[in-house]
Amino acid sequence: MSQKEATVFILDLGRSMGETRHGRDQTDLDWAMEYVWDKITTTVATGRKSALMSVVGCRTDDTDLGGVMEEGTEGYENISVFSGLKQYLLGDIRHLQEHSKPSKTDKGDLLSALAVAVHMIENATKGTKGNPLKYERRIIIVTDGRGQMDIDDLDQISSKIKDEDAPFEIVLLGVDFDDPDSGYKEENKESHKAKNEEVLKNFVEDCGGNFGTLATAIDQLHTPRLKETRPVHSYRGALTIGDPEKYQATITIDVERYPCTMIAKPPTASSFVVRSDLAGAPGPSAESSATVVAEDHPMTDLSAVRNQRVYQVDNQEEPGTKKNVEMDELERGYEYGRTAVHISESDMNVVKLETQQSLELVGFVKSEDFERYLPLSRANFIVPQKANQPAQLALSSFIHALYETECYAVARMVTKNLNPPVLLLLVPRIEPEWEALVDVELPFEQDMRRYKFPPLDRKLTVSGKTITEHKDLPMDDLMNAMGDYVDALDLSNFGRDEDGNEEEYAKPEDTFSPLVHRINHVIKWRATHPDSTLPIPDPAEILMKYSAPPTELMEQAEHHLSALKKAADVKKVPPKVKGRGKRQRTDRDKPLSGLDVDELLGNPKRVKIESNNLIPSFKQALAASDDMDTIQEATDGIAKEIRALISNSVGDSAYGRALEAIRIMREELTELEEPETYNTFVRKLKEEILGGKLNGNRRDMWWRIKGSRYGLVDQKRCFASAVTEEEAKRFYEV
Amino acid sequence: MADPQDNRPSEEEDEEEIEEASYKTIKDAVLFAIDVSPTMLEQPPKSEDKKAERDSPASAALKCAYQLMQQRIISNPNDMMGILLFGTEKTDLKDGDSTFQHCYLLADLDVPSAQDVKRLRDLVNNEEEAEDILKPAKEGASIATVLFCANQIFTTKAPNFSSRRLFLVTDNDYPVKVKADKDTAVTRARDLYDLGCTIDLFPISQPDRSFDRSRFYDDLVYPTSPSDPDAPVAIPSTTKIAKSGEGISLLKQLISSINSKATPRRALFTLPLELGPDLRIGVKGYILIKRQEHVKSCYVWVGGEKPQIVNSSTTHMADDTARTVEKTELRKAYKFGGDAITFTPDEITKIRQCFGDPVIRIIGFKPLASVPIWANINKATFIYPSEADFIGSTRVFSALHQKLLKSKKMGLVWFISRRNAAPTLCALVPGEEKTNEDGDQSMPPGLWLIPLPFADDLRQFPPGPEDALKTCDTLTDKMRAIVEQLQLPKGVYDPAKYPNPDLQWFYRILQALALEEDMPVDPDDKTVPKFRQIDKRCGEYIQEYGDEFKEVYAEQHMSNLALRGAKPAVKKRAGAAEGEDKPAAKRVKKETKVKDENGDGEDQGMTDQQMADLNNSGKISKQTVAVLKAWLTERGQSGTGKKADLLERVQEYLEGKGL
Repeated sequence: MSQKEATVFILDLGRSMGETRHGRDQTDLDWAMEYVWDKITTTVATGRKSALMSVVGCRTDDTDLGGVMEEGTEGYENISVFSGLKQYLLGDIRHLQEHSKPSKTDKGDLLSALAVAVHMIENATKGTKGNPLKYERRIIIVTDGRGQMDIDDLDQISSKIKDEDAPFEIVLLGVDFDDPDSGYKEENKESHKAKNEEVLKNFVEDCGGNFGTLATAIDQLHTPRLKETRPVHSYRGALTIGDPEKYQATITIDVERYPCTMIAKPPTASSFVVRSDLAGAPGPSAESSATVVAEDHPMTDLSAVRNQRVYQVDNQEEPGTKKNVEMDELERGYEYGRTAVHISESDMNVVKLETQQSLELVGFVKSEDFERYLPLSRANFIVPQKANQPAQLALSSFIHALYETECYAVARMVTKNLNPPVLLLLVPRIEPEWEALVDVELPFEQDMRRYKFPPLDRKLTVSGKTITEHKDLPMDDLMNAMGDYVDALDLSNFGRDEDGNEEEYAKPEDTFSPLVHRINHVIKWRATHPDSTLPIPDPAEILMKYSAPPTELMEQAEHHLSALKKAADVKKVPPKVKGRGKRQRTDRDKPLSGLDVDELLGNPKRVKIESNNLIPSFKQALAASDDMDTIQEATDGIAKEIRALISNSVGDSAYGRALEAIRIMREELTELEEPETYNTFVRKLKEEILGGKLNGNRRDMWWRIKGSRYGLVDQKRCFASAVTEEEAKRFYEV
Repeated sequence: MADPQDNRPSEEEDEEEIEEASYKTIKDAVLFAIDVSPTMLEQPPKSEDKKAERDSPASAALKCAYQLMQQRIISNPNDMMGILLFGTEKTDLKDGDSTFQHCYLLADLDVPSAQDVKRLRDLVNNEEEAEDILKPAKEGASIATVLFCANQIFTTKAPNFSSRRLFLVTDNDYPVKVKADKDTAVTRARDLYDLGCTIDLFPISQPDRSFDRSRFYDDLVYPTSPSDPDAPVAIPSTTKIAKSGEGISLLKQLISSINSKATPRRALFTLPLELGPDLRIGVKGYILIKRQEHVKSCYVWVGGEKPQIVNSSTTHMADDTARTVEKTELRKAYKFGGDAITFTPDEITKIRQCFGDPVIRIIGFKPLASVPIWANINKATFIYPSEADFIGSTRVFSALHQKLLKSKKMGLVWFISRRNAAPTLCALVPGEEKTNEDGDQSMPPGLWLIPLPFADDLRQFPPGPEDALKTCDTLTDKMRAIVEQLQLPKGVYDPAKYPNPDLQWFYRILQALALEEDMPVDPDDKTVPKFRQIDKRCGEYIQEYGDEFKEVYAEQHMSNLALRGAKPAVKKRAGAAEGEDKPAAKRVKKETKVKDENGDGEDQGMTDQQMADLNNSGKISKQTVAVLKAWLTERGQSGTGKKADLLERVQEYLEGKGL
């Protein structure tokens, strides 16, 4: 668990914050709020109850000390406490939004607001006996430094902030404050502001806090923040060489295993449904994407979704139907092929391989010959157990021996008794500060799919001859152009570190997960921009940085690219050719020998649709001729058979065949650019099925057609269609 | 250019799930057709030589089918398989129809049942039963009839399977007498092709005449497969012509060539590979490495005569009104600040698709060394060129492949696999073609997409002590000797040598349960280290390491820190001359081990010996359930059940240890 936190934001809301300065297109306050909202929403998104926040406005029109100080205390005018220290929720954000507006006054003392904040935190973070509790106390001040300040009590405040038992962290961000670090200096600064800056700077530095200019802070917001996770070990036990149970000479090293990589997942959305009592009402409630917020009635227009499970088995008495069964007649089991094997709860362990927690060395492999594509998991660190010196020494010798011999170890790991064993690759990793083994999982025999692919550097003919010149093989000019291009686009020294030195470009630690930060960003954005008419902002630039080659490098490699393009001579296949359109019979696929089967059959002009060879005969009939009558005849033929299949089907037994025939018909006619022929058929079929004209209730067949999306062919799918997408969608409605 | 079928309706689901699911929905049906002719049934000459052939071609084919069936239950539990014998005297298609003369359907095309497996096994093991069925008809079956028969079986039993394959095992390279018969067969083969079925030929050469595909079968077999249409053809010549009676057994050869076809090849995606602005080629992605898991447990209905598999379906209900909700009504919302933040479906699309279209885009190149093994987060995907969208893709891909191999470089790519998929950065790493001893391809040539971690995916290194002990050169050298001694064969990890022991055990047990057979006792676990070999090859070096360790440790320890009572890392027993497996020594060992484990202040459990003493003195039943449970679980035994069960288990365990 993270440490408890108490954070108070002090917002300068004076009239001067409403100005727009230095060519910016937003007021100083709106600009400052970008920073504040980001901080607040980031904390809200964690959902932590132990992260308390509060916002105090300074230079506000009214005065509201929220009971922190006695109302009417002198020097505390024009300060408003918007909320006590609490876990912030969406409602609090909305509340704050209403109040974070520039006031009509310039009165109000920032340092008094600071005193209020100190007081609030002090009160909220002490125990019952008045003792300070363990908390991270933080005050974040955002101001333009244009207000009046009474600096008499400054020492008193700073001594509180520096209190060793309950220290505060103080951050002050000033609008257009001079900042030697970033080199910013405001031109024509008013002397009053310059003086305030000086006072605040000295004060914050005296408190050991952070003093900076707002521009820098906002700049830093664009760099995504990483979530830190406390390491939790997934194995704690021995790494053994040899079997210490049976043999004399064995080595046992006590190790622990921690995650090294773990894919960060974006927040997941839950399912809701628009509340039915509202859904009936037309208009905005169903369409509105923003949340209606009220603390007492969260999710006003949404209702949670519950899942209800129904259990069914095939009904043996009536084949083709199913019957519901009760939960208490169910037991656990497994499918072996289509046979159910039931295993009583107490015997569930019989299918488990008996294993004991262990990490045992299997052997060593040469790192040079190891195929980088084999590992199929994320990586872990293996380190010596805490405060175990023999283990430190032994593991260190193991790591260095692997490193020096350029070998990796293969080991069998069982993380817990009865867990399945996995084989791990153990790789030494030696960094300046630390060393460890890194493990990744290796595939077993069953994990490899043994597909075969033709070689890429030569061509084999059907008869088994090897050819080295072929259109699929690169000639020297292409090889050279590729070589130059690959070398030109080298990234190994293209990156720059903080000091501007050359380094590798796009190292993992410089790249950010686009989707994770994108989703986090839009959630936070929507929380502060509830207006559903606002367009969703584009992804941050940094998330797109690695979506294309770096421009500068690409410019340098431009001429290599043109040379490569020329040598490659790649031609895009026009979409028209891909869909076959009107086909020639000679284009038909041929067997390995290249034999023309149609010619063998004397190129018949008409092929009859055979019910016992439905799909092939339909395809052949279409291939025989492209005149409309033949196509119509073939279509009528297959349509008749489809109806017969449905009409004669016992239960749903022939629906699968009918469905497949419909699919082929739809596909072929679309490719022949005769969508209307299909659409006419399917319209009529729908009518017949729903009208009960195909020998009884065949509605299940309709559900299958709908489920497979074998409805009307629309314009999107085939340009020759007259059916709009909308119409095609409506067709599925009953 | 994404294929139209890529725009599936289920766009909002978790992307990881789609990937797995879309791969599984590709259902495959295999009809295994075996020629039953006098030559196929010919027994090999009896021989003393262990390596000599034992199977007739037909029986080897049946054994193959048996193995394939078992294997498919594991790897493709929803796929169908059937076995058709042709050329048999008997005609039986299980439906009373005798249209297809001399065709005998041994197992109907379906998801195999335990009965199918059993029947096949009996046939393989029981020669008498086999003889009855495996009786060749005088005139043999017409190949056209077989093909049409397969056509009917596929049409009725697996109408909407995207992959339907006829595995044909025969030794007859010209199974017709007159040309007209050949023409009929050619037509029937074309019908099958138009139906969307593939013929995979597994030819067998007899010693006196080798199988010549070009005489007949090249007119029947098509170069492309409907399940992976514009992908390059698997090289037809690699289906090996098994020569019976020499070299590796016919069975082994047949199994190996059938294994390469065990699952239909199907592309995971078809995408442009962008080498630079305006230079794109077409590639297809395949999953070649993926963890094979065993089936998840399911519910079984035991209310009827026979246990039945239960299908469950989920309906969504609104929590407020208990009204059933259609899937289209569901709205996604993110929890935030005690409330829900919602977006319209259009907005969701915009949020997820803002990164651009699916593509594999090269953004530059780096040395291979920049993809350290720790930078791994998931399995790699294999990619291979396709000419379907861009003519010339293959040669450009080939040039890139060769260049990367030669310069030991990799490409850094921006990869979006589908619409809505999260963009990732991947290393594009070249993979060389590899062949095994028989010249068969064991790894295809191509490029691999290895997903790289983002900064968000990197975890901190766990904090350790600052003054950790470090090795010194002398100690490292002793360990190096061990590393050098214990190299795996050729210093290479070969997955083919390590079947997943858990998966194998699971299915052995499940099969035994399904067929109501005796339960197997000994798991075959090839992943267990070869301890004997380690001891033999390395014992001496480990001793030396141990001695050196003691010295270095003492030295460093003295100069470093006070004693912490940690246990020594190197365990050595006194008296190296003792025999390897003497029970006495073992007992001693056991005791120290248990003590060691409990040394850190945990409850002192009983050692094996102590428990054995209690057992011998009859006091074992005085022990409390808690003690027994703890004792058992410590030894990896089940700690559940009544006291009597626990006692029994304890005694069994002790007996097993010879105590």
